[in-house]
Amino acid sequence: MNVTDSVLRVLDDALNLQGRALAFDLNTPLLGALPELDSMAVLALITGLENQFGIGFQDDQLDGAAFATVGSLTALVEQALADAGA
Amino acid sequence: MTSIEAFASQTPVSPGRPALPHAFFLDAPDGSQRFCLFHTPQPGTPIRGRVLFCHPFAEEINTTRRTVARQARAMAEAGFAVMQIDLLGCGDSTGDFADAAWPAWLADLRLAHAWLSDQQRNTGGPLWLWGLRAGALLASDLAATLPEPANLLLWQPFTSGQQQLQQFLRLHSAGQWLAGDQKDTVKKLDKPAQQLAQGQPVHIAGYSLSPLLAQGMAASKLQPPSNQAPGRLVWLELGTQAASNPAHSSALSPAADKQIAAWQQTGWQVSAKTVATPAFWQTVDTEAAPELTPATLAALATAPTEQTGAAEAPPA
Repeated sequence: MNVTDSVLRVLDDALNLQGRALAFDLNTPLLGALPELDSMAVLALITGLENQFGIGFQDDQLDGAAFATVGSLTALVEQALADAGA
Repeated sequence: MTSIEAFASQTPVSPGRPALPHAFFLDAPDGSQRFCLFHTPQPGTPIRGRVLFCHPFAEEINTTRRTVARQARAMAEAGFAVMQIDLLGCGDSTGDFADAAWPAWLADLRLAHAWLSDQQRNTGGPLWLWGLRAGALLASDLAATLPEPANLLLWQPFTSGQQQLQQFLRLHSAGQWLAGDQKDTVKKLDKPAQQLAQGQPVHIAGYSLSPLLAQGMAASKLQPPSNQAPGRLVWLELGTQAASNPAHSSALSPAADKQIAAWQQTGWQVSAKTVATPAFWQTVDTEAAPELTPATLAALATAPTEQTGAAEAPPA
């Protein structure tokens, strides 16, 4: 399973999208486009990604831009994976 | 008639529907009130034990209400007397969240335990402390201060209060990310952890958290109560990730494995498993968790039935 697929699965769980997220692609907008994405959901999403990938985010690494699209979220995870491997 | 039966007979029952819980206020020693729900087994049902629910933290009290209510009713139908209490500053109890403190919450739970034990004088059965998320920390702290040993039923427990505190403080950051604040515009002094360290309350997601509560919670750790005989620990890890990832379908998280080993070393009898459920504590309008209720009852079912039948119990 590639990173994007795993990200979509975590996203689907965190926002309780009932499988809708599995059809998203890298260009799918998130922040501002998904009403489910409130602060509780963002927290669930970040915690879910940390658990799924065994990574940790620093809060000051994150801002709204990271949640703009599926692509930006995937890039965030890939960066954290690269940092963890470095 | 035992006290339990007295309660059961007062409870309104519609044919074909489970009985509603008894709702009432308990008076705290200072005269303030705590809202409680008491779910009683039907008369004639063998009594299998008492359950005291320790609720989770802040907004999770609301998000979990439905699933907890369903479980409590199912437990009552299966013969458990279940007590729920809204702790100081939570739900329908006296006070604001800003007034709450960890020791005050533990005192509230002891109040609820004393009331529950009073109702149960003639029926007995083991005592279960049922903790959800941060409620698991309350349950393990509480177990060390009760006059009787307790078993623990933990749903998706935090293993340290520090984790819960960090997640809650992160909600503040999440709000800022959503509001479009750029990372460099967030002033250091605005950070909630620093405010707390300076003795200031923080306001996050509609909750005012006092430094006192933050401190008390952060100091709490999930651990076997040193001064009680070991009992049974039922540990249920919840979520959809276990189910969606076949490689990890039955495995607990490494953090859970480590915790459980520590309990086993002190003589606790542990049953631990993962149950596939939606993360119902994260969203208000999530669907039900149909597999969780039977999985919990099945886990409790292996506990010995200490005494049966309010009907067979000796007269009060």
